[in-house]
Amino acid sequence: MDTPIDPLAPLDPLVAAVIHDAKNALLALDTQLADIERRTARFLDDECRTARSVDPECRPARADFSAARATATRIAGQLTELLTCFRAQQGRLRLAIDDHDLSDFIDDLLAELGPPPAGIAFAVDRAAVDRLGAWAFDAYLVKLALLDTLRNAFRHARTGVRLGVDTPPEGGVRFSVADDGPGFPEAVLIGAVVQSGGEGTGLGLVFARLIAERHATPAGRHGRVELANHGGATLRLTLP
Amino acid sequence: MAARVDLHGKQGLLVDDMPEMRSAMRIQLSDVGLEHCDTARNVKEAFEHLAQKRYDLIVCDYNLGQGADGQQFLELVRRKHVLPLSTAFLMVTGETGYEQVATAAEYAPDDYLLKPFTAELLGTRLTRILDKKAALAPVYRWMGTGALDKGEPDKALAACEAIIAAGGRYALDAQRLKGELLLSLGRAAEAQAVYEGVLAQRATPWAVVGLARAELATGHDGEAREMFEQALVAYPNYLAAYDSLAHLLARTDKVAAQEVVEQALKVAPSTQRTRELGSLAIDNRDFERAESAFKRVVEKDRTGFFKSHDDYAGLAKSYVEQGKTVEALGAVRDMGSAFARSPELAARQAAVECQIHVRAGNPEAAKAALDKALKVQQSARLDATTALEVAQACFAGGRADDAKSIIQTVAEDHHENDAVLARAQSVFAAAGLEDEGTVFLEATRKRMIKLNNDAVALAKSGQLDEAVAMLSEAADRLTNNAQIALNAALALLMHVHRNGVDAARIAQAHAYILQAQGVNAAHPKLAEVSQFYRRIAPAGSPALPG
Repeated sequence: MDTPIDPLAPLDPLVAAVIHDAKNALLALDTQLADIERRTARFLDDECRTARSVDPECRPARADFSAARATATRIAGQLTELLTCFRAQQGRLRLAIDDHDLSDFIDDLLAELGPPPAGIAFAVDRAAVDRLGAWAFDAYLVKLALLDTLRNAFRHARTGVRLGVDTPPEGGVRFSVADDGPGFPEAVLIGAVVQSGGEGTGLGLVFARLIAERHATPAGRHGRVELANHGGATLRLTLP
Repeated sequence: MAARVDLHGKQGLLVDDMPEMRSAMRIQLSDVGLEHCDTARNVKEAFEHLAQKRYDLIVCDYNLGQGADGQQFLELVRRKHVLPLSTAFLMVTGETGYEQVATAAEYAPDDYLLKPFTAELLGTRLTRILDKKAALAPVYRWMGTGALDKGEPDKALAACEAIIAAGGRYALDAQRLKGELLLSLGRAAEAQAVYEGVLAQRATPWAVVGLARAELATGHDGEAREMFEQALVAYPNYLAAYDSLAHLLARTDKVAAQEVVEQALKVAPSTQRTRELGSLAIDNRDFERAESAFKRVVEKDRTGFFKSHDDYAGLAKSYVEQGKTVEALGAVRDMGSAFARSPELAARQAAVECQIHVRAGNPEAAKAALDKALKVQQSARLDATTALEVAQACFAGGRADDAKSIIQTVAEDHHENDAVLARAQSVFAAAGLEDEGTVFLEATRKRMIKLNNDAVALAKSGQLDEAVAMLSEAADRLTNNAQIALNAALALLMHVHRNGVDAARIAQAHAYILQAQGVNAAHPKLAEVSQFYRRIAPAGSPALPG
């Protein structure tokens, strides 16, 4: 029988160092792929057009670049989450809280996320974004948490995923990611476990909770993550 | 979304020590439209470029190899006023430098970008910063560009108001600038209202710390301390809160202040904070810690751009207090080889050397060094720090009257400058005369207030010649005292107003206004006196900036 995965298990510093190097290598690979794609775009498009005269099924090479980049950044993101949890265990996690324009933040998030998988409709509700303007948070870490959540939603959705930003009655800014998939397993929903059977390690949820809770105000309010099933899974990440 | 700034036609400077990275990033910048871009390999080259040319944007790697890092470079160019506020500064960093850059307090870059990144992302970030710079340009215009141009804070405030009234994405940035301007002008109650207004909408570290600073400025030290401490619980990496709390504590509890600086250094290393740690450790007689702090400052900065005489003087004192006379004299020698020759350097070396010899029981060598320091002090106009070092040497060498005479001049010249007065007090404290120092400095402060009040009373009673004579003598002697210079200018202008135009008096008033502006452009009386000058001075008189 497989040993259950425990994303909170302490990490050996040597393993952490190796993970750090692997993460950097993946990010470098992503950048190299992006630059190669950009520099060879015209050539690759021309080549594909030519090839289609003999093989109408020829797929543009750009799609392969995008897929390769998505894989590299997804794994790098997970490794960063793992290292962030490691730093938190060691008491070395530092949040860099500063004002960020929410519109720019959503633009950056969507650019890094890339297009949704075929057959999945992706809607973004930006109505509150313009009203709120800027908010103070660690954009780098919150973006990582939301990217992971959105990628999970893409994986589990049947037809659609929705990203929303709003203000909860008690204050703060709330990011919601909802899909129309099977929803969270009951054990995850009630907080008994972070991962229950199937695929995934539960690291994304652990990371999102960690990052949300580390956001605080001098009045003592903290961020939080809430899960719900409303015709699919909904994760809400609230920042104070 | 509004059209964004185009990078074509902009002037850029790229700073990176790695040739291959410079080349790769230069290509990326070119790909996003930045055709005009100079490159620099290190701080020295970058500084030379900045001295010769005005840039729209700077892209700087955090890690610049041996010597200084990008954050130190940014601190340097901001402190030396060679980087206009309108120039965009983007710091590029790996994950290891990210926290240092992201938590930078006073000298934060406009934005930072984690490596690796695509050309597209680089372009997006640069255009965002330039958008913001363009929107805030009306404020920057009046905030001044440097030591010789301190700007017009009232006009900068009006520009902030206009941006806030228009709403839009940069209104919050304008609120931040407005709060800082109001605090710098001593209008703490208004600053407090700005910060409270922001915090009613959202919690953000700069407004929390700004509000605490406003409390501090209105004399509510206890409330301010509590607010800084609460800020650090919520934002444990917000360096501005550590800096403000340390400054507050340094007035009454230097041991606690030292602890706060230690905590800040755990968040991010900084030359300035390490220097502050060393200085507090000396005051706390924690000489071992002082030695390690000053050693780190001196050894880390191989470029010499960031070091000051204070670092070597501090190191020498840390050594000598531990009985390490040879090392202490070595630090004084190193001071001589690290800086160009100047009266300040000669006086500082001699004054520190005197204190070392006194401590080591070499009275003859101490006397020779003190004579040398006093000779320089009498022949040159030394800065306050150096003059106070000479005073400290005088105390050590048994010449208390000379020490007090020097301190009196410094205190009169800087009677509105709390930092200088605190340093003067620490000279008394080092000589074991803390209580006497408190009385002495308070008496000096009161004397200066009386001088100003007496002169103003003379002017108001119509004895303008006497008022002008009294204030001109003081303003010529105390060139760092903005209040005296402004009152001298005011008396001269009143004289002209009553007795008719006199070109010499107009020119003298003009010179005093510039003298005051050079010392403290945010002095509360500066605008009023400048306005009076513009009203009184006839056409053809020397113009005031702005």
